[in-house]
Amino acid sequence: MTERRTIESALSRSTMTGPGDQLDYRPTAVMPDVKVIKIGGQSILDRGRAALFPILDEIVAARQLGIQIVVLAGGGTRARHIYSIASELEIPTGVVATLGKYIPMQNARMLQMLLAKHGGIFMLPDDFEKLPLYLQMGCIPIMSGMPPFGYWEKRETGSRIPQHRTDAGVFLSAEFLGARRGLFIKDEDGLYTDDPKKNPHARHIKSITAAELVAMGLPDVVLERVVIEYLPRAQWCKELQVINGLVPGNVLAALKGEDVGSIIRA
Amino acid sequence: MTKLVSGDGRTHIQSRLMRESLQDRGVISQTESDRDLQVFPDVTLVSIGGQSIFDRGKDAIMPLVEEIVQLKRDKNLKMVIGVGGGTRVRHTISIAVDLGLPVGGMAQLVGAMEELNAILLNTLLAPHGSMPMQRDHFWDLPLYFDAGITPIAISVPPYHFWEPPPDAGHLPMHGSDFGLFQLAEVLGMKQVIYVKDEDGLYDRDPKKHPDARRFGKITLDELLPQLPDDNILDRELYHAWSHAKNLTRITIINGLKFGQLTRAMRGEDVGTVITKGAP
Repeated sequence: MTERRTIESALSRSTMTGPGDQLDYRPTAVMPDVKVIKIGGQSILDRGRAALFPILDEIVAARQLGIQIVVLAGGGTRARHIYSIASELEIPTGVVATLGKYIPMQNARMLQMLLAKHGGIFMLPDDFEKLPLYLQMGCIPIMSGMPPFGYWEKRETGSRIPQHRTDAGVFLSAEFLGARRGLFIKDEDGLYTDDPKKNPHARHIKSITAAELVAMGLPDVVLERVVIEYLPRAQWCKELQVINGLVPGNVLAALKGEDVGSIIRA
Repeated sequence: MTKLVSGDGRTHIQSRLMRESLQDRGVISQTESDRDLQVFPDVTLVSIGGQSIFDRGKDAIMPLVEEIVQLKRDKNLKMVIGVGGGTRVRHTISIAVDLGLPVGGMAQLVGAMEELNAILLNTLLAPHGSMPMQRDHFWDLPLYFDAGITPIAISVPPYHFWEPPPDAGHLPMHGSDFGLFQLAEVLGMKQVIYVKDEDGLYDRDPKKHPDARRFGKITLDELLPQLPDDNILDRELYHAWSHAKNLTRITIINGLKFGQLTRAMRGEDVGTVITKGAP
């Protein structure tokens, strides 16, 4: 039988399935100065004008200071509605994740319409390599926060909801770009010991490591669990900052690098 | 009736998940059940190895093409084919690692190398009825099957720039074996057959260890505690399968031996057969 015709390389004899590798890897940051920021779906966008317009003003102000910003949109109540109906029908998770792409994309398009006069540009995942152009032109690129896994989203035991949603998209985008921090605009001051909307005794957490957070075993957390799982393995994105976008000044402060809200560290 | 609910500053649509945190385990467990809908339960996914088959060239590829053409005569055997990328993927990643590209960058790059093999295979199979299937055009599949056309699917999953950081090392975790597994899983297919150049899965790489022991028929639960590090399939595939609801059978066969694919397609136990749930 003819032998395998192999191109000689460091991995040419590897099955590439081993848990580790002995390769010399010195990572290169792609666009480390970019701020990746998510505007929450249920927390902000579903509140409409009253909540959203002041936040957009602060994003525009930061952009005018020269801060490079990529805005990712969350889903919200329409995503919950389709997830709920799909679950009744026992739709596989990969199909649910595909359904979940549409609502953050609508929200991203709404944000683009509002930010167009300030350089808002709607982007699909396939446009990601055009980021340098948009940012050098002073634009504010806007995309859905949902990572493009779709039908390839893995099943989890105990839930039919896709694990990688718009928080994951923010973290993974920041990690690819080599940005140190991912920013999440929500309607709470960050991380609490319980859902502050339901438990008035929930305590605010200003700074915590991912390991400490996991060890607390909270029934509910402010960000998708998979992001907290990935954080310690990250090469670049070592901090997740959650801020309350309903408080004036928070978004601009966070974009300037100030430690407002809660910070989860690798 | 659909009802809009407000009062807390947000406008909600009434649903079981309304106002809820999707991080709350109590909430998301309401979406769970012990089965997933099976869309194409009579279809087999056939994955043809890159390094193991395509990198060997004509002597390995042509007999397999001949076998697939024979299988196509039986209209009851529905299959989707996917291919691996082989040595060119390894070369791409070696260079990317040296350059320090992020893992998402590597994931974005590798799909092009698998696609070359998909085009080669389609060029050979097209006279007998085959077509490359666009990324997620699954809803065309009934048309393909009715027309006797064998779809050739894209094998690398679309994780692209958003590939998660690996749990160890620097390489992407979601390769073509995983991508084809997931395609078969999400569509509720009958089985996946991985066509490689060994008689199945071994406890160690049989190319390096002549005394390696082959697994015959084994359940996923039995296999997981003794899963070989050096594996003929992506390790992430086994992990994902352990949480999955649909696939009950994965077979790993030797594509250099004419006839093994036909026997596996007909449901015979050949090579290594891994089963999940009731055997």
